Amino acid sequence: MDHTSTLEKVIRGILLALVVIFFMFPIFWIFLMSFQTNESILRIPPSLAFTPTLENYIALVTGQMKTAAGSLQLNFMQNLWNSVLLSSASVIISLILGVPAAYAFARFKFRLGEDIAFTLLSFRFAPPLLVLLPLSLYFKTLGLTNTYIGLIWVYQLICLPLILWIVRGYFEDLSPDIEHAHRIAGYSWFQTFRKIAVPLALPGIAAAGLLAFIFAWNNFVFALVLASADKQPVTVGALAFVTASGIQYGQIAAAIIFSIIPTFVLAMFAQRYLVEGLSLGAVKG
Amino acid sequence: MTSSAMPGRPAKQSRFARKALPYLLSLPALLMCIGILIPFFTAVYYSLLRYRLNLPAMKGFIWFQNYINFFSDPKFWNTLKISLVYAGLTVVLELLLGLAIAMLLQKRTRLNNFISILLLLPLMTAPALAALMWKLMTNPNFGILSYLVSILGFPDMKWGSDPATALFTVTLVDVWVYTPFMMILLLAGLRSLPPAPFEAAALDGVPRSFVFFRITLPMLMPYILTATLFRLLDSIQQFDIIYAMTQGGPGDKLLVFQVQAYLDFFQATNVGRSAALMIILWAITYALSNVFIKQWLKLREKAHGVG
Amino acid sequence: MSQLSLKSLSKSFGSFKVFENLDLQVANGEIVVIFGGSGTGKTILLRLIAGVEEPTSGEIQIDGEDATDIAPEHRNVGMAFQNFALFPHMSAAENIASPLRAAKASEDKVMAGVAKAAKLLKIDHVLGHAPRELSNGQKQRTALARALAAEPKILLLDDPLRNVDAKLRFEMRLELPRLLRQSGATVLYVTQDYKEAMALADRIAVLAGGKFVQVATPEDIYLRPANLGVARLFGDPSINTTDTVLSADGRSVTLAGKPLALAADHASHAGKPVTFGVRPEAVSLVKSGIPAEVMAVTPLNERVVLLLTAQGGWELLASLPSSAASIPDPGSTVHLAFAAEGTHLFDKATGERLHG
Repeated sequence: MDHTSTLEKVIRGILLALVVIFFMFPIFWIFLMSFQTNESILRIPPSLAFTPTLENYIALVTGQMKTAAGSLQLNFMQNLWNSVLLSSASVIISLILGVPAAYAFARFKFRLGEDIAFTLLSFRFAPPLLVLLPLSLYFKTLGLTNTYIGLIWVYQLICLPLILWIVRGYFEDLSPDIEHAHRIAGYSWFQTFRKIAVPLALPGIAAAGLLAFIFAWNNFVFALVLASADKQPVTVGALAFVTASGIQYGQIAAAIIFSIIPTFVLAMFAQRYLVEGLSLGAVKG
Repeated sequence: MTSSAMPGRPAKQSRFARKALPYLLSLPALLMCIGILIPFFTAVYYSLLRYRLNLPAMKGFIWFQNYINFFSDPKFWNTLKISLVYAGLTVVLELLLGLAIAMLLQKRTRLNNFISILLLLPLMTAPALAALMWKLMTNPNFGILSYLVSILGFPDMKWGSDPATALFTVTLVDVWVYTPFMMILLLAGLRSLPPAPFEAAALDGVPRSFVFFRITLPMLMPYILTATLFRLLDSIQQFDIIYAMTQGGPGDKLLVFQVQAYLDFFQATNVGRSAALMIILWAITYALSNVFIKQWLKLREKAHGVG
Repeated sequence: MSQLSLKSLSKSFGSFKVFENLDLQVANGEIVVIFGGSGTGKTILLRLIAGVEEPTSGEIQIDGEDATDIAPEHRNVGMAFQNFALFPHMSAAENIASPLRAAKASEDKVMAGVAKAAKLLKIDHVLGHAPRELSNGQKQRTALARALAAEPKILLLDDPLRNVDAKLRFEMRLELPRLLRQSGATVLYVTQDYKEAMALADRIAVLAGGKFVQVATPEDIYLRPANLGVARLFGDPSINTTDTVLSADGRSVTLAGKPLALAADHASHAGKPVTFGVRPEAVSLVKSGIPAEVMAVTPLNERVVLLLTAQGGWELLASLPSSAASIPDPGSTVHLAFAAEGTHLFDKATGERLHG
């Protein structure tokens, strides 16, 4: 492919430019919208020339939205906080529960372990509502509806399979001899797990944690079914916000930007591991 | 140096404790499994009931009546059809587009790497929020896309709210979000292919199309299969994008399985029908996931050297 | 009392039997080499003794006590791995210190122990390096130092010279016996290099087909191999063999059409088919004996190896000292004699060596 003609280079360049435009334009456009007043958004034809304003962001942060009908309370910051809380707590619990299990599955090949790992994997691909709808009735009985605990519990459905399968792959990549050497040197099973296995698999564990966070953050349907307004994360909150705010488009755009920035930033950190995470450990980047 | 200073007799560990360790470690994951299986079997049970939340008195066991009703229920066939069309359409488009982009980015240049990272951003956007973004851009009053297509001669495009273009609109969002998934997996696949066959073909002056169809595609097939099945499994249960964009409308245009089941449950409060729908979707995904997991394990074995 | 003993030790993975009913007694301070080809389960045997893997059945005794259920960290063994198995996130010094720290030794003792082991293995200058910065030879020495540091009573060495280059292997082969004696530990040393086994061992245990086919001193193994397999494993070039039949009186065999009188009486096998074996070093050229044609002459260090074809097509090698009076040219015909010491008869059916 070294002898690519100029024509081919030009065509490639144009195609790549089109690809970048298609995939980047929506983000770019919503970003611009978030700095515009409603008047400037509603101009026809749309224009790139406008005076940027932080009004939309300020309204979101202070929770005071000025509409034609007067000032309206909105709670988008609560949604943002819910997202942070739900995602972080879910990932932390998932790591605490999942990493030792992943280690067990990687090191002790036992029947039950395989069964658990594959059951969780197969439910990763089952329709979420299949489990969520009956669960919503159980949650009512148990008083877990619209509680953080209940939500964090079901969020394990997102985080745990991911962490189990990715981290298991990382443990499998470690030579068991290194752990054997540590045991023989005089350390207990747990010390070896803590001082050898976990530190050596740490990049994988961190990547799995970041990815699980992103998936938890981006989840929509779990909270839609199981949470009311005050416990909803940004994904559900933004939708409700559209209904509530009516035509405050600039603020909707700002809310979207607020909601996608954290995952974008984390994705940049986990970038090297994304391929592996997205394929649940089947493909290495 | 301590010469084997061992206080007392070394502790014997019971064989039981040693054997129990892996089970102990996987206990949380086991509980998790049980936590999934209970609602799963509950759903199976509900699907065999006449169960409407608004008519509790009518609750009763009716065996497979919910499923039998589906046969004569045009709404069900519409759901099945629209789900399959949606899944097929999005996955095929994403595969073709993803493969094309991956091939454009195959060379490891700085620019290509940068673009491939940039293209991940749509994938990192919550699908529900992506739908909102596109909703803002396709707003008939001020949406930039509505404006652009009006210049191109479609002045009154209603996008998601027009039955004629609703499927096109949600497909567009799905393609925007998930094409990067295909792209990144296939790119990883392409870059992991051994260079020797390609170098040999280049030396022999083999035509590009031949190289693509006879060398690249067959070698890339495991990646293509894994990525496609993965997407198919997700796409046939798409909920977020469709619900956030149109809530299944206009009319019954986009009532795919999960949206229909959600509405059956929360609007019609027909738990039995909703559960039966989910079980059918589950059966489809279960069959697909069995094929998928086999493919996936093969690739995983290649990546990690262990099953 | 023997310090380490294996009592009908068996290991299988599913239906695959690695080995069965191994018995072995190792005395205090003894160096026993476990010798065998790849895949014979040598490494697994060491892992069982170290306790990082469980036997399917049988018992491992250390100091006369059943140690089968004792966790690896309490067995007081040291082990060096074929792939070194250094802790990649710790410096060489911390690697060596790990068994001392595990024993909760004071910081002074840890330092002294590391220094002593490092000096012994001549790696003082790389103690601060991370394992990835070490050469293979240094990694291997670090691994040995780590195994020795806490002065374990039992030292398990899993083919430690396998992954180092030829020059270093040669040096270490000279150095190791002194090192191991100095440590005073009871040593189990795994290798598939017979020269290494001969150089190091007090006794060699030959593992093949899932059992110990012979456990004996190096001299015994070489001069009195238990069977044809063992005879073939030890010796370079390896032993020449040909199938023949023992005479009716059990005192001679026919080789290349000529009778050859035997030093020993094998009346019990008289008239039975046997395999005749002679080590290349035991072949000598004489005025009259078994005629053979010289096919090729290859100098090998201080010896010369001749490829010969005797009557009936028996191809054999002779290894003569380079200083031998006259080395024949290829194409010439010579007469061969076999020294009794390097000559063995094996039962054709079982491969067992026939005792005189």
